[in-house]
Amino acid sequence: MSLVGGIEPKAAPQARAAIASVRDLRVHFRSKVGVVHAVDGVSFDIGDGETLGLVGETGCGKSVTARSFLDLVPRPPGIKAGGAIMFRPHQACAACDGAGCAVCFDSGRAPESCHSCGGDGCERCGHTGQHTVDLMSISGSEMQSIRGNRIAMIFQDPGKALNPAMQIRDQVAEVFFQHRTADLLDDAGLFADGSEPGGSLLRRKAGLRTRRAEDVILSLPPFRSRRGRLMKAVETRIADALAETQIPNPRKVMDRYPHELSGGMRQRVMIAQALACDPDLLIADEPTTALDVTVQARILQLIRELQQRHKTSVLYISHDLSLVREVCDRVAVMYAGRIVEAAPTTSIFSDPHHPYTQGLLAAVPAASHERGRLVAIAGNVPELIDPPDACRFTGRCPFETSACLANEPQPAAVNGAHEVACFIHHPLPGADDAPSFDRRVR
Amino acid sequence: MTAAAPIEPALRSNEDDLLLAVRNLQKHFPIREGALQKVVGHVRAVDGVSFDLRRGETLGLVGESGCGKTTLGRCISGLTDPTGGGVYFGLEGDQRGRLDALLAVPEDQHTESTRADLAALEKSHRVDLMSGDPWRRYRRNCQVVFQESFASLNPRHLVKDIVGRPLRVHKEASGSALTERVVELLEQVGLGRQHLYRYPHQFSGGQRQRISIARALALDPELVVLDEPTSALDVSVQAQILNLLHELQQELGLTYLFITHDLSVVRHMADDIVVMYVGKVAEAGRTATIFERPEHPYTEALLASSPDLDRETSVLEPLEGSIPDPARPPEGCRFHTRCPVATPACGWEIDDIVRRLEDVEGTFDTLDGVTRESPFDAWLSFKDEAAAANLAEALRSDAIPASMQSAVEELTVDGARVRVRFAEVAEVPLTVRGADHAAACLLDRT
Amino acid sequence: MVDVPAGPLPTRVADSALRVRARRGGELLLALLKNPTTVAGLVFIVLLLGMAVFAPLITEPNTPDAYQMPRDWGALAVPPGSPGHPLGTTNVGGDVLYGLVWGARTSLRLSVIVVSLTVFIGVTVGSIAGFKGGKVDEILMRIVDVFLSIPELIFALAIAAVLGPSFRNIILALAVVFWVKYARIMRAQIIHVKENEYVDAARVIGDSSWRIYFKDILPNSITPVVVQATLDMGNIVLVGATLSFIGLSEAGIAEWGVLVSEGQSGISAGRWWASTFPGMMVFLWALGFNLFGDGLRDVLDPKTETSR
Repeated sequence: MSLVGGIEPKAAPQARAAIASVRDLRVHFRSKVGVVHAVDGVSFDIGDGETLGLVGETGCGKSVTARSFLDLVPRPPGIKAGGAIMFRPHQACAACDGAGCAVCFDSGRAPESCHSCGGDGCERCGHTGQHTVDLMSISGSEMQSIRGNRIAMIFQDPGKALNPAMQIRDQVAEVFFQHRTADLLDDAGLFADGSEPGGSLLRRKAGLRTRRAEDVILSLPPFRSRRGRLMKAVETRIADALAETQIPNPRKVMDRYPHELSGGMRQRVMIAQALACDPDLLIADEPTTALDVTVQARILQLIRELQQRHKTSVLYISHDLSLVREVCDRVAVMYAGRIVEAAPTTSIFSDPHHPYTQGLLAAVPAASHERGRLVAIAGNVPELIDPPDACRFTGRCPFETSACLANEPQPAAVNGAHEVACFIHHPLPGADDAPSFDRRVR
Repeated sequence: MTAAAPIEPALRSNEDDLLLAVRNLQKHFPIREGALQKVVGHVRAVDGVSFDLRRGETLGLVGESGCGKTTLGRCISGLTDPTGGGVYFGLEGDQRGRLDALLAVPEDQHTESTRADLAALEKSHRVDLMSGDPWRRYRRNCQVVFQESFASLNPRHLVKDIVGRPLRVHKEASGSALTERVVELLEQVGLGRQHLYRYPHQFSGGQRQRISIARALALDPELVVLDEPTSALDVSVQAQILNLLHELQQELGLTYLFITHDLSVVRHMADDIVVMYVGKVAEAGRTATIFERPEHPYTEALLASSPDLDRETSVLEPLEGSIPDPARPPEGCRFHTRCPVATPACGWEIDDIVRRLEDVEGTFDTLDGVTRESPFDAWLSFKDEAAAANLAEALRSDAIPASMQSAVEELTVDGARVRVRFAEVAEVPLTVRGADHAAACLLDRT
Repeated sequence: MVDVPAGPLPTRVADSALRVRARRGGELLLALLKNPTTVAGLVFIVLLLGMAVFAPLITEPNTPDAYQMPRDWGALAVPPGSPGHPLGTTNVGGDVLYGLVWGARTSLRLSVIVVSLTVFIGVTVGSIAGFKGGKVDEILMRIVDVFLSIPELIFALAIAAVLGPSFRNIILALAVVFWVKYARIMRAQIIHVKENEYVDAARVIGDSSWRIYFKDILPNSITPVVVQATLDMGNIVLVGATLSFIGLSEAGIAEWGVLVSEGQSGISAGRWWASTFPGMMVFLWALGFNLFGDGLRDVLDPKTETSR
């Protein structure tokens, strides 16, 4: 088993329904040359508390898939062409009120019961009994209450993801003001029901809904102390969030601007901001690509620690196979807008089934490779404009046959949790020209 | 600038093997502030690097950001002039030996004739002092392939113009002869005649890199400097390009200087490796040696932090801290601030205290000022006696590493001021660890 | 960012550089023509340029100097539709149509000369500042800052007033005022373009600084200058007309601003045609170039370029 800094990888995901289920997701893009099928029928599950790696090269659609979770794909040119992303948000565990207990596996979060059937199981919740929403079709305000709160995202380049004109304090404060208004007022000892003088104003301030004039009023003596208490409450929470990502001297860092921090620190700030509201799902889009190797190791270890402490589910996007191996429980390999293989991490690396996965693993320079003899996958990634009804790996696959050119393989299980979309493993019934690993054609 | 002591290059070649020699190379960038652009300090991007480049082989230059490898590459390829030391090209026979001997003579001990000898050698072999024929010869023989990006090829030029330009500039061909030569070059890198009249944006990343390589080969150079040539490419495309580079090296007898941060790529492609850290060489040697028996703790950490498909990750703790600012490199061994096995003699200094104070909540606010006698000796004044006592206490406790504690030679508290004096240490030189293996570390791990 | 896959590689095999460049030019033109406002601007420009070019054919040139308004003492201030004067005459018998048409020529002369001068000076100064950097850059940019801190119209006005009223002096005044814009644009572009690796690549090949400037840096920096120049073609005439209007040009020449000025006294008496038509011309000229210039900017925007 691979270890990062001595931390054991997680055991199999808990016996709860998957926190997110992507069903036949299709996202297309309008371009000058046609409609590009960037994501074309992608389905996978993210288990509750599991780290799923989504791996692929440029243009495979992994980033678009990730951004679809939070409706971050620009439309136009993007088009929601179909499919659903079923998400099962949790809420504070009723048994321990968010503190952590056996019932909620120490995470403080427990699934919400389905609003339609109250937990019995119905069509809407896919018979899981848990409250389920389709992220592709919820309203803007619903999405806003999920973003940053139940689903959080961290990006590749922390330098670009943090607002250069805002202090760290203000950036992280935003999350608390948006989603934890009531808690903040509580912490500050202010009554959320507005029975305090200026209560409604303070409530609005805690919800970031004040206008300039109201801010001025709040700075006047009668309200100033109360506003001060509110600010102190926020700052304490910010300091705690930053400390959890092992940022030294959080109170100092809060005053700084992003450009005053190193790359590793900025990434920690972004992680702190993402985990501030204890989300159910964390989406990490190549979070260490822009970092140096030694810093990257530290950040990976941090993500692993935090994930284990909060029992957050993680969707980890990367093009780097070796990285994914260190961090993920399961891996899904994407190619040309579809998933070609999905399996537990160890299986994918020890026993890759799909020719593309095999090619990808063989292409990474390793000590065993003779120089000049890296196995390069022939050809280029296909254009995804009106793709034909064929396996997308044709033209590059070492084992393809005419059967591959005429039909599109669907992902199907090979053994237990290992899925692959390839006719070598699931030959079409009646097809006489089935491909096999014994017959290389290139 | 002449050195005051014999230079021990990180890598040595035989006399007939030598293509290029780097001696004491320094590149400092001035930091300017204020309306009058006063120089307030220097970024010491490359701070004293020496090695030989062997003909026909690939030298891998690795390190993280701020290590100076890109700047070093630019000095070697003649894009920037060094601020100290030099890059020597075309040394033949015993010239290198003579050069090294002359460079080892301190400034004040030179005679008229040794000065003249040195000047003559430098005029015809030092890249930033060359002119005329030696310069032209160097320029034709040292080409560069940059990191793939939209910026490495002029977006307004056709492929034919891009690849044919070196031939035009050096007046090697024109007209249809030029076109044919360009086609030859394109075919050599796996492209073809049909690509002549296209613009860069019409190609994929891998193909653009092939165009860059074709351009670099147009003048039939001896040395190609590759600055992160595959870092922006997908893994499968990277494999194609690495295979191509190897093939070309075999066919054309090229020498490569391969600059990268990717350890698995460098292990695959390089015969020799130079590991850099904050402007200096940490370790250098044959690839297999560096990977199997690293001597420098930084090299070890680098190897342990790189995810690798072959290897089960070791249980090494990822490094603390971040890469130091090249404008204020640490004293002694530059790695001592993060080194898990640092000794008292590794360069502990006042800045280490200041950095630690920054990380402890509350203490830095009470620090009034630091009066330095030297990097190792200073008075730290606090706002009150309690804070000063706190610091003294901390310096005697486990709050700081044991090796740092042992390095403290004097610790005096005077009211609200504390005087700390560390043992003064010099920079850690490169020491030979075996045939073709050198490391800049005080510890001997054998 | 979301990586929208690039378009497919063209399948035609071009066999000459000329054909490829011609095709690219054609694509540019087509892109321009897609935008209706750009087309409108282009139409205005073509009409006005046509007027200017064919001036001698539309109206009989005056002797000895075609640019002096002819006087028809027998038809003072006649309204449009009068025989021999389709658009009427001014209160000194100048044919309004003549003024429009030869005024177009004057405007063309003015804008071409001024824009050429300002672009040349501005690009040169900006290039030196951007290329050399350091002290030279500082000094040049401070000079530019001084110029830019004075409002353009006032500045031009002051210079023209000092030099004395004449058409030549207006050209001079405008040139002195308007070059700084280009210097700034060019400098910013050069600083940006200089960082590109293809410039380093050209140096590594051994190319001279001059050639690198002309082959690599200039072509990739010039786009905003071209757009600005197009816009200025319109605005220069506007400013020039303003200066003429307030009397800084010579009286009696065929120039729209002068005509507007000379005709304005008649407006209260109901003789609108002498001012209105030339005024409209100024408007159309400025509008046409502005619309076209905006369209050009959109088409030449690097973001849309790479997605071709």
